[in-house]
Amino acid sequence: MTTTTANVKPKPNYEATAWKWMRYSGVLLIPLVWIHVAIQDVIVGVHNIDINYVAMRWANVGWQVYDILLLAFAFAHGMNGLRQVSFDFFTSEKARKNLSWVIFIAWIIISFIGAVAIIGGARLNLLNS
Amino acid sequence: MEVTLRVFRYNTETGRTKPSFDSWTLTDVDPTDRVLDLLEFVKGYHDGTLSFRRSCAHGVCGSDAMRINGRNYLACKVLVRDLNSTTITVEPIMGLKVMKDLIVDMEPFFESYRSVLPYMINDEVPADGKERLQSEAQRERFDDTTKCILCAACTTSCPSFWGDGKYVGPATIVNAHRFIFDSRDQAAGERLEILNEQGGVWRCRTAFNCTEACPREIHITQAIAEVKQAINTGKVD
Repeated sequence: MTTTTANVKPKPNYEATAWKWMRYSGVLLIPLVWIHVAIQDVIVGVHNIDINYVAMRWANVGWQVYDILLLAFAFAHGMNGLRQVSFDFFTSEKARKNLSWVIFIAWIIISFIGAVAIIGGARLNLLNS
Repeated sequence: MEVTLRVFRYNTETGRTKPSFDSWTLTDVDPTDRVLDLLEFVKGYHDGTLSFRRSCAHGVCGSDAMRINGRNYLACKVLVRDLNSTTITVEPIMGLKVMKDLIVDMEPFFESYRSVLPYMINDEVPADGKERLQSEAQRERFDDTTKCILCAACTTSCPSFWGDGKYVGPATIVNAHRFIFDSRDQAAGERLEILNEQGGVWRCRTAFNCTEACPREIHITQAIAEVKQAINTGKVD
């Protein structure tokens, strides 16, 4: 009896990696988003969030990492979705490749700016002066 | 019962180059009549130019896939009573070029089908020189996808396919699945390589339209997921 148990794994490419990223980031977003919603909207409450709260939160390295991860994963998840949808409108191979790079670079830049803002924190002394 | 049958018309031979609908009111329709019966009646007694594909008329050949009341069916398998409506709108399947009335150009569909080598590939001589044996479990592994009749109801119900004609579509993946998981076949690697390309399985966004449209009740979205998994793990047993 013959069997095909040999490993026939194709080399991972951009498409396969993007698809997996969509799944993994989706799974990670579940706890990240729910914890965020629970704290901001339920435990603290949106009306109690002011600059002091933000300053307090971003003074903590753990929350800085948490918020950077939340931003990066949520944004990547959305940008990859945008990439998939845009493929419906751009059919040439070249246009798709360029578009993928534009979206990827936009993700890097926005995530970087967001990360800088989070790490920089809220400078209460500047606001008060 | 009385039924209003609205049918999409497009026929360059008769000068109907602007797509439009024709409507007939049919009386004495039996709820157990099939939509194909209504189309045959109209073609036979009202308008002989009405064009549609049909062959076996028993859900086996897969010729008469159509969009009926907004959903893909085989006209020969769907009964009037199952549509729960006295107005039945029949259109060609979407995503393929309309050639005449309900007839679409199936060539892009079959071209995509051929691209995944949908046939047994094994150049080795069987152990006993005669046949390649297979256990029940090994046969069961791909049993569901052997049922495909290539009617294109799944592919033309897929929003990814509507948006992107380069996507191979669910039917092609189903037929690749049928050989990828066949223990007697030796070209799974080649097929997975093809389906790992840009127009391959990663275009599937699990809308489940294909599973809903399949007249053979194949678990298409599951089959596509299994192919995705095989690409990720390299395991086809």
